[in-house]
Amino acid sequence: MEMIPLRVVSVLLTTLTASTALAQDPAIPAFVEETEAAGFSHSFTGEWEFMVGGGAAVFDCSGDGLPEVFAAGGTAPARLFGNDSEPGGTLRLTPVDSGLEMDSVSGAYPMDVDGDGIIDLAVMRVGSDRLMRGLGDCRFEDASAEWGFDGLDLWSTAFAATWEKGADWPTLAVGTYIDRTEEAFPWGNCTANHLYRPDGKGFAAPLALEPGFCALSILFTDWDRQGTPDLRVSNDREYYKGGQEQMWRIEPGQPPVAFTEADGWQRLRIWGMGIAQEDINFDGFPEFYLTSMADNKLQTLAEVPADGPPVPRYRDIALKSGVTAHRPYIGDDLRPSTAWHAQFADVNNDGLSDIFVVKGNVWAMPDFAMADPNNLLLQRPDGTFMEAGDKAGVASTRQGRGGALADLNADGWLDMVVINRNEQAQVWRNMGEGSGHWVQIALSMPGANRHAIGAWVEVKLADGRVQSREVTLGGGHVGGVLGWQHFGLGEAEATEVRVRWPNADAGPWQKITADGFWVIAPGVDPQRW
Amino acid sequence: MACLAGSPVGAGIGTDDRVEVLGNWYRMILELVRHTPTQTPPVASRAFAYTAIIAYEATASGSEKLQSLAGQVAGLDALPARDPALVYDEDAVLNTAMARAVDVYFANTGPTGQRAKAALTASLTARVSGGVDPEIIARSEAYGLAIAEHVIAASASDGGAVVENMGFPMTFALGGEPEDWVPTNLIQLQQAPLLPAWGKNRPMALPDGEACALAPPPAYSEEPGSEFFIEAMEVYETSKSLTDEQKLIARFWSDDPMLSPTPPGHWVAILFQIAKRDDRPVEAQVDALVRLGIAVSDGFIVNWRDKYRYDLLRPITYLRKVIDPKWEPLLNTPPFPEYPSGHSTQSGAVAQVLTDVFGEGFAFTDSTHVDDGLPARDFPDFWAAANEAGISRLYGGIHFRAAIDRGLEQGACVGDFVNGLQTWK
Repeated sequence: MEMIPLRVVSVLLTTLTASTALAQDPAIPAFVEETEAAGFSHSFTGEWEFMVGGGAAVFDCSGDGLPEVFAAGGTAPARLFGNDSEPGGTLRLTPVDSGLEMDSVSGAYPMDVDGDGIIDLAVMRVGSDRLMRGLGDCRFEDASAEWGFDGLDLWSTAFAATWEKGADWPTLAVGTYIDRTEEAFPWGNCTANHLYRPDGKGFAAPLALEPGFCALSILFTDWDRQGTPDLRVSNDREYYKGGQEQMWRIEPGQPPVAFTEADGWQRLRIWGMGIAQEDINFDGFPEFYLTSMADNKLQTLAEVPADGPPVPRYRDIALKSGVTAHRPYIGDDLRPSTAWHAQFADVNNDGLSDIFVVKGNVWAMPDFAMADPNNLLLQRPDGTFMEAGDKAGVASTRQGRGGALADLNADGWLDMVVINRNEQAQVWRNMGEGSGHWVQIALSMPGANRHAIGAWVEVKLADGRVQSREVTLGGGHVGGVLGWQHFGLGEAEATEVRVRWPNADAGPWQKITADGFWVIAPGVDPQRW
Repeated sequence: MACLAGSPVGAGIGTDDRVEVLGNWYRMILELVRHTPTQTPPVASRAFAYTAIIAYEATASGSEKLQSLAGQVAGLDALPARDPALVYDEDAVLNTAMARAVDVYFANTGPTGQRAKAALTASLTARVSGGVDPEIIARSEAYGLAIAEHVIAASASDGGAVVENMGFPMTFALGGEPEDWVPTNLIQLQQAPLLPAWGKNRPMALPDGEACALAPPPAYSEEPGSEFFIEAMEVYETSKSLTDEQKLIARFWSDDPMLSPTPPGHWVAILFQIAKRDDRPVEAQVDALVRLGIAVSDGFIVNWRDKYRYDLLRPITYLRKVIDPKWEPLLNTPPFPEYPSGHSTQSGAVAQVLTDVFGEGFAFTDSTHVDDGLPARDFPDFWAAANEAGISRLYGGIHFRAAIDRGLEQGACVGDFVNGLQTWK
């Protein structure tokens, strides 16, 4: 070996960069920001206790099929925006008096807690969490006490819900962050997460999930397709000691048990901030996108056994898939990125799920980019992704936190909401300038779990592959979408859909035509909405 | 750090609470090293050196027992002098100097670190000022600040003051030969190695940048029976038969950045545990601290110089290519060349220094990682700990034997130079 340092072959270390253009590059959707025109005036504000949070809950509380947007406000009041958009037209989001105008809100998730057919809202706060009962017509009241929900006085930063087998009331999980009373030495002071199990028509006392490692996203996921979701927890390594990413086995009637190395669980320690899941390799098992600082992770099962369930051992395929999204792709600020909310969805209706990531510096953190654009990573047919945030017009460099992709104007193309910290929130309209077809599906199930949380929706694509998606409630960064399940179909003008209902066998394959909204219930034909 | 008080405690009128002031600031420093992404081990070693120099000079300037390091440490000129006719509050001098040191060397910490620094500054400042003539406090704070600013100015030209992109170059030319380092993980940021120019920094106690240079590692070979192959097989076979104790040792000394106080911080933590156990006076503490700080800083400079001089591949690269494509080490492989082992060099340097300070056969208990769930370990002396730190890298599957053995030797060489510094009058 010569004693000349680092010579000879010059290799530019830009392997698989997101900007690499390939012949199979997907169509880039055109988004137009309509924040001002829509009347979407809101900001998630605050200092240290609101450096995380800023989630958005997107759901229909008016009954017109168009989703409303609830935005966390931090020190400012949270705000519900009614959706007055014209179908296929300009977006219009109008603040409404809803009873949700509370302060210290970090985020929220829509769900029908009491199974009355009206969507309620689980509101996460720096302080006592609230369960807000939907009264109809986008009005809400605090039902926490009536439902026996002890919101505790913690820094809540994550939420997930499931209906355990045989239960007629949901099980909730709340993820929490730092003991905020520890000012000079907060490190190593993560508070416990909590599980709220049913007790009649309400909740039993919260069960501590200890140790807590400062969760910023949690998700009930049927990752192994065994029909019983486990609770995946993504933790911020900045604050824990002895911590790691976690997954809890949640068996009905049994105390939660953490997965260990003996179960195949591998130790991973990241600045975990958001979880998104989708089966992007069409093997029937979900991949997980985990947001962090610098590199983000895309996990796929290390091995899918021919028989029996897999073990929770994952390979990180972010680098080879082009989705590390580790630094800004526009501008001169090339310091590492800070990623928060993430969501899989097909924004160009080509039949392949894309990845949307909201970015933003924690708070004047000099090791990381200040001008940190959000990502829109479009999936290619070969499973790799290309960055299109700038070309699509959504490369905002504001201090992003929460977000959502949802069809706000019922035109079949997913629009985009981003909640920014101490800056104006934003909304973009997807102009639908593509040729791809789509369907949107709402599940309707009798009984308590009306939205069929935990179901798997399977849609056949034009090439015969089946897109499988679990209906989940949780994940992201302190916010989520409840309502239409959107599937891009590419060139297909019709497709077949099948639902594997929670705790039940799969329904039949049912034909539906493209470019329409469909309501699917067990045992009946799909109904066009 | 478990050994220190859970909340700041401090001065009463006329009391000497510098041990408390020092302990609280170092508790903060160890947390900030862990929680500031820039603070990779080389960067942390530099921060430990300069904060220790500031602590030392703030203390020495009011001590009849200690002498200044000005003129002994490269780049450090005579420090501001006190007015012998005036009274100073030693707690305030030290507290202000440390507050400024932490502000500068941990400027990159995030909002929580900034908030914590501010909270500790306010708490300690209120305590050391209580009941003391405001004029004396103001004078003392000004002097402590002057000490800190002098050292900070000296450090600005050493080559390590600016760290961008957490130390990873935006582009990097790989060597391209079979023996050369290549990236070992799937993290995009780490496809270039950490701080390739760190070895060019100005050392503090070494005579020049070529001091303590190492001979090359065993010649690269993929031939069975070659020295290189045999060393690689040792790593491979060890990994296949690790005992629980060996796994514990590997994890105990893993000292990962962002998940621990890093290898140099591990030794700083040990020093404070000993100080608390033995109730050591502040002069003795800053003497040991400054020697330790300079030892790890100079150790990392020469170690990094040789890492990039020899640019050797990691065991994971070699073993997967030559022996077992599916081989997995116990520890995550650090993102920079293999030879010599950084932990070995800096641990050897510390062992040489602390043996000089405390004497041969000085036993201690290391409880640095108790909060992380790793039990305390007992050591009969500093070299026993350093040797264990070195071999832990083989157990972890991230270093070959030569990098460890010669790294420890390199550390001893560095330590000898540091031991030449004159601190006690």
